[in-house]
Amino acid sequence: MMSKIPLMTLSENEEAIVVEVWGGRGLVRRLSEMGFTHGTKVKMLHSSCPGPVLVGVRGSRIALGRGVAMKIIVNPEADS
Amino acid sequence: MTIRVAVIGNPNVGKTLIFNNLTGGRAHVGNWPGKTVEKKEGKCRHKGVEMQIIDLPGTYSLTANSIDELIARHYIVNEKPDVVIDIVDASNLERNLYLTTQIMELEANMVIALNKCDIADQLNYEIDVEGLSELLRVPVIPTVATTREGMAELKDAVLGAVKGKPTERLVKISYGKQLDGLILRIEKALQKDEEMCMKYPTRWLAIKLLEGDKEVLRMIDKSSSKDEVTDQLLETVG
Repeated sequence: MMSKIPLMTLSENEEAIVVEVWGGRGLVRRLSEMGFTHGTKVKMLHSSCPGPVLVGVRGSRIALGRGVAMKIIVNPEADS
Repeated sequence: MTIRVAVIGNPNVGKTLIFNNLTGGRAHVGNWPGKTVEKKEGKCRHKGVEMQIIDLPGTYSLTANSIDELIARHYIVNEKPDVVIDIVDASNLERNLYLTTQIMELEANMVIALNKCDIADQLNYEIDVEGLSELLRVPVIPTVATTREGMAELKDAVLGAVKGKPTERLVKISYGKQLDGLILRIEKALQKDEEMCMKYPTRWLAIKLLEGDKEVLRMIDKSSSKDEVTDQLLETVG
């Protein structure tokens, strides 16, 4: 069984693969422009409460609000 | 004659460094009319030709969703610079080429500066520069902004691009059979408004309409081709 969890729930330095984005057309597009597309490897770089989380994606570091990071669904097991 | 050159690229690809290299760091900072986001302008002279260089805000895309993207897009669409230098991070090609496709759709006269080539080398990336240039039909110049490598070649390419006709090397990006047909039909409907089609690339307008771009939708609302275009768009929904 493939596990699907929100990106927000990854712990620091944990890596995963983007499975999908739960959002409207605008958010899905905005995130895909920033590199969060299906199958992309992401890494949680910094996540301490409160405030945004820092995520590494396609060679860039991107700060995401916690709400948005909840909508990005990832699979941590696919990471080999 | 002064050539107007716009510098564009993703955030953190070295745009401003290249801008400062080109202009000798003599840049002054000015405000965009009515906006709080700054643009930088500078001048340089190469082989007797004066160039006015404009540093646009760094963006991942050219949608109508945020002010920095709109500024970059307005400048390219409305001010029509003679040449657009698209700065691409060689160590991160895939991410960067998305913006490149957007600039291609705006039918801008583009030159690509493949920056951070030193970092790409360190990562053992082998980039087929000629192949990339052939595919996109755009000059691609490898650069390392930090050591000023490739700056003279970049200026040469800008001068060369001014002389050449960009319409001859336009690449249409396909969206697949179904959508391409639809885009063509919307383009045809748009053509009733000659004035608008002179001002904007028709294919770009059609694609933006399908994306539901708010600004382009507003433009169509005032256009004489409104009814025809609405018919086409409604047909796709139905």
